[in-house]
This record gives sequence, C-alpha cells and structure tokens, in this order.
Amino acid sequence: MKKSIRRNVFIAFCILPSLLLFSLFIVYPAINVFKTSLYQDSGLGNKAVFIGLENFKTMINDEVFYIALKNTGFLAATTIAPTLLIALFFAALLTSGKIKYSNFFRTVFFFPSILSFVVISILWSFIYHPTMGIVDSFLGIFGMELELPLLGNKYTVMWALAITMIWQAAGYYMVMYMAGIDSISRDIYEAAEIDGASSFQQFWRITVPLLWGIIRTTIIFIINGVITNSFTIVKVMTNGGPDRDSEVLLTFMYNHAVNANMGYAMAVVVVVFIISIILSVISNRLTGEQTVEI
Amino acid sequence: MKSKIIRIIALMCMLTLAVSLFAGCAGKKEQPSSEDTNTAEDTKQVEEQKTDVQPEKESDAKEFENKELDIAIFQGAYGREFWDALAEKFMEKYPGTKINITANPKLGDMIKPKVVAGNLPDFIYLNVDDPSGVIKGLIKDNALMELTDVFNSKALDKDVPIKDLILPGFLETVFCTPYGDGKIYGAPYNYGVMGLWYNKNYFDEKGYKPPKTWDEFFALNEAAKKDGRALFTYQGIYPGYLEEIMIPALYSAGGQDAVDAFLGYGEGFWSSEAAKMTLEIFKKIATTDNALMKGTVALNHTQAQTEFMQGKAMFCVNGSWFEGEMKDAPREEGFEFGFAGVPAFKEGDPVVALVGIEQMYIPAKAKNPELAKEFLKFVYTDEGIRLNGEKAKAVLAVKGAVDAVKDYITPSAYNCYKAVESGMQPVVGSFKPVASGSKINISDEVYKPFSSIMNRQMTVEEYAEKMEKIYKQVREELAAQGN
Repeated sequence: MKKSIRRNVFIAFCILPSLLLFSLFIVYPAINVFKTSLYQDSGLGNKAVFIGLENFKTMINDEVFYIALKNTGFLAATTIAPTLLIALFFAALLTSGKIKYSNFFRTVFFFPSILSFVVISILWSFIYHPTMGIVDSFLGIFGMELELPLLGNKYTVMWALAITMIWQAAGYYMVMYMAGIDSISRDIYEAAEIDGASSFQQFWRITVPLLWGIIRTTIIFIINGVITNSFTIVKVMTNGGPDRDSEVLLTFMYNHAVNANMGYAMAVVVVVFIISIILSVISNRLTGEQTVEI
Repeated sequence: MKSKIIRIIALMCMLTLAVSLFAGCAGKKEQPSSEDTNTAEDTKQVEEQKTDVQPEKESDAKEFENKELDIAIFQGAYGREFWDALAEKFMEKYPGTKINITANPKLGDMIKPKVVAGNLPDFIYLNVDDPSGVIKGLIKDNALMELTDVFNSKALDKDVPIKDLILPGFLETVFCTPYGDGKIYGAPYNYGVMGLWYNKNYFDEKGYKPPKTWDEFFALNEAAKKDGRALFTYQGIYPGYLEEIMIPALYSAGGQDAVDAFLGYGEGFWSSEAAKMTLEIFKKIATTDNALMKGTVALNHTQAQTEFMQGKAMFCVNGSWFEGEMKDAPREEGFEFGFAGVPAFKEGDPVVALVGIEQMYIPAKAKNPELAKEFLKFVYTDEGIRLNGEKAKAVLAVKGAVDAVKDYITPSAYNCYKAVESGMQPVVGSFKPVASGSKINISDEVYKPFSSIMNRQMTVEEYAEKMEKIYKQVREELAAQGN
C-alpha cells in the first residue's frame, strides 16, 4: 500500500513538469484562441471589444476565406492519399530485402524530412522557375513551352504546390512505415510463403493489417501536416499568388493576424481547429474497425 | 539499493530540466548597447569626438528626472550600428543618462508581447508597413504620442525649428501625419527613392536613352526585342512593388489630387481619367508582345531582380537600396545600375519617383517621453546625419543629407537621391489607415490582382470595378467610425 502511494507520488512528480509546460504553452494559449475569436482585437494591447460571433459572420461573407478553404481542401484531397500510398509502397519495397542499396534509398527518401520547409520551398521554386527551372526546360524539349509559369497560373499553381508537399512528406511516412514493418515478425511472412502467398498477397494480407495502427496515426498526422505545412510552402513559393489563387487557411489567418485583426485571425484558427478535429474523427471512424492485434 | 540510486539520479535530472526550462521564462534585462556591440573603432571615434562636444556639454545638456531610456530598433537593411553609436554620443552629452537598445530584425514580433502587456519602449524605429503590424495597430488604437511640438522646437545644433530641416513635404505625408489632421505622430528617419532601373552601361553602349515619357518607354520595346530581352519585369509574387509605378504614374496623370484620391479612397477614383491612364500602362505591359518578361508573375523579388541584372529584361522596379541588396547577385557583363524614375505621360512633364520614408515613433505610454523626445531631436543633428551615413549607409530625410553622406553610400544610390534633388519629381504616398478593426488589407487588395491582370485573366476594367467596390466598403467602414 505504502509502496504504491510512493509510486504514485513519484509518477505525479514525473508528470508535473510536462503538465505545467503543456498547460502553459498549449492549453492556456488554446483557450485564449477561443476567447480572442469573440473579440475585435488588434492583438496589440489596447482595446479588445467583445463582439460575440461577429468575426465568424464576417468570415462567412469573406470571399478570400472560401478561396483559402477550397485550396486547403484541394491540398488535402490531392496530397494525403498519394503521400501515404507512395510511402507505403516504398516502405514495403525497401523492407522486402529484394532491393539493392536499400539503405541508400532509405536515406535519400528521408532526406526531404530533415530539410527545413523554407529550404524545400526555395528549392522547388527554382525547380518550377519559368526560365531556368528543370520542369520548364524539360517541357521545352518536347516543344511544350508554357505560356504562363506553373506557379504563376491559377490553373496550375495548386497542383505544383501539391507535388512539392507530396515530395516533402512521403519520405517521413515511409520511415515510419518501415519501422512498423520491421517490427512485424518475420515468422508470419515465412509461414505465408510456405503456404504459397505471393508478395502482393503478403503485403495486402499481412503488412497492411498489421500496420493499420500506424497507418491510422499517420493519417491524423498528415491531415494536420497538410494544414500547417502548407503555410510555409505557400508563403515562400507564391505568397498566396497569383492574385489570391493559392491562399490557404493559415496564410489567410496570418495575413489578418499581422494586419491588426487578431480577433478575426483567431476565429479562422477556431475554424481550422474544428475542421482538423472533424477530419481526424472521421478518419478514425472510417479506419477504426480494422485494427488487428497479435 | 541500485534502483534507488538510479531513481534519485533520474529525479535530479528531471528537476534540473524543469528548473532550467522555467529559468528561460525569467525576463532577461537588456544590456546597454555599449557593452556588447561597441567595436574598437567605435570607441576610438567616441574619443576623437569627445573634444568637439566638450565645450557645449555643460551649457546645452538639460537635466532629466528619469535618466533611463529604452529604445527599440528595427535591425533591417540599416543595421544597428548607427543607433549604438548615436546612443553612445547621447549618453556622453547628457551625463547620467542610460540608453538600453533592443535591436532585432524581427523587432515587431519581439516587442508585440511587450506592447500587449503595456510595457512599451520609449522610442521605436519601426515602419508602419512592418509585417508584424505593430505600428499599424498602434496607429489604429491611437496609442502614439504626438510629436508636433518636437518639430516646432529649435534644433539642438542650429537656430531653426526642426521642421525646417526636414525635406519639404515629408512631414505632411501620411507616414508622419497618419490621421491627416496635421498632427505629427511619426518622425521621418531615412528615406528611399523608388522607380524604374536600367543597365546604364548597356544603354550607353547601344545609344538608348532612359525614357522620359511612357511613349518612349514602350518605343524601347522594339530595341529590347531585337536585343533578346523583355521590356519590363517586376517582383512577381510581391506585386506590391508595383506601387512604385502606380503612385508616380497617377501623379503624372492627375497630380497630387489623383494620388490623394487613390490613397484616401476617393469616391469615383477608379473611373477617373488619371486612374484610367495609369491602368492603361499596366494593360499595355500585359498585352504587348515582349513587354513583360516571361514567367515574371511566379518569381520572387530576388529571382526577378537577378533576371533583370542578367539582361533578361530592360527595366525593373526597385528602390535606392537596389545595389546594396543585390551586391552578391550574378549579373551580365558590365552591368551598371541606372535609375530612370517613372516616365511622365506628357512630353515635357518631369519624370516622377516614389519616395518612401522610414519612421520613428514614441508610444503614448512611453515611460520616459521627455528624454525620448530629446533623443529624437538628437537624431536630426549634423552629428546624427553623419553617423547615419557612416554606420547605416543611409540618408536621413533632412535637407543636404545626401551630400553629407556621399562617401558612405553606393554610387547608384547617390545618383538616385541626387536625381530627386535635381529635377525629378518626388511623390510620397502610403494608404490612409483603414478603419480600426477592418478586415481589409488595402495594399493586398489593390496590388494582388495585378498578377491576374498580367496573366490576362482579368481586364483592367474588371479590376477597376472590383476596386471601386472595395473603396466604397473602406469609406463606409471609416464613416461608421466617424472618420
């Protein structure tokens, strides 16, 4: 009895610092976000005026908000599935032991993840560079000169950004999947092989189900990743342009936050928060039942 | 026994970690600048100067009750050395005073929490258009101290009021009188000149002349095409740079009234003759073959400027900082910066250049406003002008400052400033602040659609229509607040 109390005290003591920090830097600001979203607040001190849901009403009538929402949705729709599929495919391939230099490829694919987003964005803005970029030169070989640059055309800009985001994220999730696959017992594969299962069957019947827990986690990760990382990439590569055609929710929020509209910006954050929660819950529900434990 | 030791060690580690994390929260007192940044050179300078200042020291120096001054300096292109040196001089002249300098490239973001907490510095050098929005917010919240009395008072080293030292027209700009009521809240610091740039060497070689009118400008397109370059480029993803054409062109088309209507959300402005003439230029750039460099819309400022310097385009917009900004950038053989200003519409009218002014402020809640004002006056002394040229390589918005600092600035910048002093028409302008709490970022609204215009996905007529609506909304919001 006495021992367990001492144990609990010790545990509490261990948790306390992180709990304090968590409350101070995560919980408290988060509560403040919700509070500020109900105020007209320049974010600079003086007079914050309580205006109820006025900020949200403004948002409903704000054209740019819908552009940002649409673009964020577009990025989610075009990047999440391809990123995870590519990650899974390469993870399976590289752990299969049939690829030479798999460690080399592992490093290469993971490389984008250790680069900062700003570096990645600058890199890709040169890849898409209209006069010296590799993409344009490549298309030029086939006589397909683009009249408008990829990043400067409202019809291509979001696709170009989506490709950058896939490239950036795939390696990271690949490494997570590889770690997961490594922890699956070799015995199962051997048994399957003896039973005559093909590589594809092994992947589909063994790897995917046993990896499902990790896949679920990565889906939540990438939903949040798309929302937050798109900020840096858009800010550096297009600054929301051309015109407003690549504005995403967080750049929209940022532009208002720095334009002395902290209240409005926080209302956008609340919406982003709700959207990510909803998406996470939906994805959890959709993927929930299939988890297999051994 | 062993596990107990491990437990204790773990506990200790954690404790240290926790304590060290919290230690970061404790406010660190800023060191006076002199201690950490003064180079040997600075100190030597101070010693040399000491003898000059000594005689007037006792007679001049006023006594201040509160002798501590906190100044916050935006550490941008001009660095912080000027402020360090100036503070040093000031402390010498006013014995017993102590100046604490906070300087940071992200000053706005840095002082924002302090501003929120009501713990403001006494003196701020930060521009109204800083992306942090601190100054914009302070203006909207009426939280700045009026400085009109400072400019009416006598200069520290001359027998004239300070306002007579400032370049004509500067104090009347929206930078200095943000509310348009003649009361000065922003003190002009450095100024910059903006307009079209060209490669002087290339022009001289080919015998081209920088254009004086827009017709001459577009006439050069033929020559440009022949030489395998486009006529014009700008900082694509930051179309805000186009104000450097927009405002001067409006001035040329409709004088100060047109500029005022543009920046002050005048009713019917977008259907005015001046607006139409100005938009016509952009239309022409967008629709004329070879006029706009291919891909411009997608380029950031460094990319576009590099393309220009490599001879891909004949003209590029930018300011007097151009040469310094791009000093490491690759360029075509023999490239030389030449400043052309912005052409006029009518033959014989002067070429126009946009002038931008950096600002210094004293917050209304400053703890030591008296000393802050004295420090501000000190900036406008000859000593201040010279130090600013030497340390910041910049030109104070004071008459004759260009020549006083000639040795310290780049030749292209000197020519650029000189052009304005000798015949080129300077025009200043910044948008009148929108209503407090407004969701409109006027500069984004006005300039971002230029990407669509340049892509020929929006006509200038559609643009004007859209702008008219936005201007109406801005006016209504302002009217609702009684402005």
